[in-house]
Amino acid sequence: MANRLLEVSDLEVAYGDVRALWGVSIHVEAGSVVAIVGANGAGKTTLLRAISGLLPVRRGTIALGGASLAGPAPEAIARMGIAHVPEGRGLFRQMTVLENLELGAFQPKARANMRQALDKAYALFPRLKERAGQKAGSLSGGEQQMLAIARATMSDPKLLILDEPSIGLSPLVVQQMFSLIETLHRQGVTILLVEQNIHQALKIADYAFVLKTGEIAMQGTGAELIADPEIQKAYMGVLEL
Amino acid sequence: MFDFPPPQIFLQLSLNGALGGAMYGVAAVGLSLIFGTMRLIFLAQGAMIILAAYFVRALFQSFGIDPFLSLVIVVPVGLAAGWLIYQGLFRKAAVEEDRNISLLIAVGLMFLAENLMTVIWGGNTAGVVTSYTASGIHILGIRTSFTRTMGFLIALAGTGLVMLFLRKTLVGKAVRAASEDITAASLMGISPHRVNAIAFAVGIALAGAAGVAVATTFPFNPFAGFIFSLKALVALALGGIGSVAGALAGGIILGLIEAYVQFFVGGSWTNAVAYGVFLAVLMFKPEGLFGRPYKKA
Ligand SMILES: Nc1ncnc2c1ncn2[C@@H]1O[C@H](COP(=O)(O)OP(=O)(O)OP(=O)(O)O)[C@@H](O)[C@H]1O
Ligand SMILES: [Mg+2]
Repeated sequence: MANRLLEVSDLEVAYGDVRALWGVSIHVEAGSVVAIVGANGAGKTTLLRAISGLLPVRRGTIALGGASLAGPAPEAIARMGIAHVPEGRGLFRQMTVLENLELGAFQPKARANMRQALDKAYALFPRLKERAGQKAGSLSGGEQQMLAIARATMSDPKLLILDEPSIGLSPLVVQQMFSLIETLHRQGVTILLVEQNIHQALKIADYAFVLKTGEIAMQGTGAELIADPEIQKAYMGVLEL
Repeated sequence: MFDFPPPQIFLQLSLNGALGGAMYGVAAVGLSLIFGTMRLIFLAQGAMIILAAYFVRALFQSFGIDPFLSLVIVVPVGLAAGWLIYQGLFRKAAVEEDRNISLLIAVGLMFLAENLMTVIWGGNTAGVVTSYTASGIHILGIRTSFTRTMGFLIALAGTGLVMLFLRKTLVGKAVRAASEDITAASLMGISPHRVNAIAFAVGIALAGAAGVAVATTFPFNPFAGFIFSLKALVALALGGIGSVAGALAGGIILGLIEAYVQFFVGGSWTNAVAYGVFLAVLMFKPEGLFGRPYKKA
């Protein structure tokens, strides 16, 4: 077995009495990009929120490098090395771009490297440097998404979780987004990516899981799934750009 | 024929109103901080101010400590007390995200504090009389008391320090972040309990500072705090929830309104007008006088 960073086994999560995940198992190798795809309401966001501690685990296990993530509060999980860019981005809109980035390095370990992390983020996102003093809420949609990702990289996380980063962006910006994810990948960041843009996601993913009504319906390398006729028929017919 | 009052009157009323209103303002800044992170209207804030005033009086009467000098004791004690109040009384309700319970705890704390003060210090009106209590100073040809001016400066300094803390320190920024989106803040590794406790600590420290100002300027009794909390709430609504400078400004505006109403309409009308303004603002400009309308994220 290669170097498993994240291991989710037999995970069950429910909203009250309504179960949303039924025994989901996924794994993420260190240094890889793993995609989770599936229709609306399949449970993708639910899975990510359970990993980062925003939803309680009903059954099963979640482990990051051997340490259990089922139990600790979200802030503790963040400090263990998970940076989650949530659906809707979770920016502090009333605060400046720079303040958002600084808060990305709030945890004590990251705080010490604030300066270097900031330089690195600005090198990757020059636009954010120009807009450092502007309120996050005043940025364009694409810039906001870049800021959300840049903020998440400020803590030099072991695992970067992205929930639909391309949502609501123009096709051109979507391209920028995906090439950015590839750049981060090349820099060695491990990424767990949820996407509605299935073709693009599978293209850059080393490995992918298909989630269907709360269960893993299929898994394989990105290339395998792209070539799969069932996937093409079910998910890529209309979404192809 | 109606005699138009001399312009001196307007200056005098404005000064009196602003100086008095700054007291509502500091109380409102404390409410604003605690509301920001916990979404709790901390109705006991006024009682904490009165408690601090009694504490200041005790330090003065028993140990001869000058009321203004006692700031160096009252503010750190307030910080510690606020931290403890959160950890002891509110943490559990915050975990369960039960705002009704939190509000009831705040009301319970208020009544407990009021009645303990009555037991310890009696229910009569108290005050702190120093050698300079009666001394006045002249600004632009109008007269005001030394202690009221000091109270105003304390309010300004307290609010200024809180603003510096929120804008310039990383922990202060974390408090602002948590006020805006507690879930997103927790994903940054920011502990909700930490920021709640900090908001309480700073809020109660401000109550301590306000207590010094109240003790030196107004006669007070154990039950005076509740009205203070209500006035602070009006100030908060005027200034816009979530804005520290707005809260202070809201308090000053409320003080001005009260001063003018008292002079031109009559003392019995001041409270009715204050609460009328409160309702009007909530109905027609819920984001406060200075705020822009809320945009949904
Ligand atoms: N807060 C909630 N309370 C109750 N049920 C919820 C809640 N959030 C999601 N669900 C339900 O859980 C299931 C999974 O939702 P989830 O948001 O995880 O799907 P998703 O795959 O992320 O969908 P999308 O592509 O629309 O973002 C859905 O049936 C949804 O209706
Ligand atoms: Mg989703």
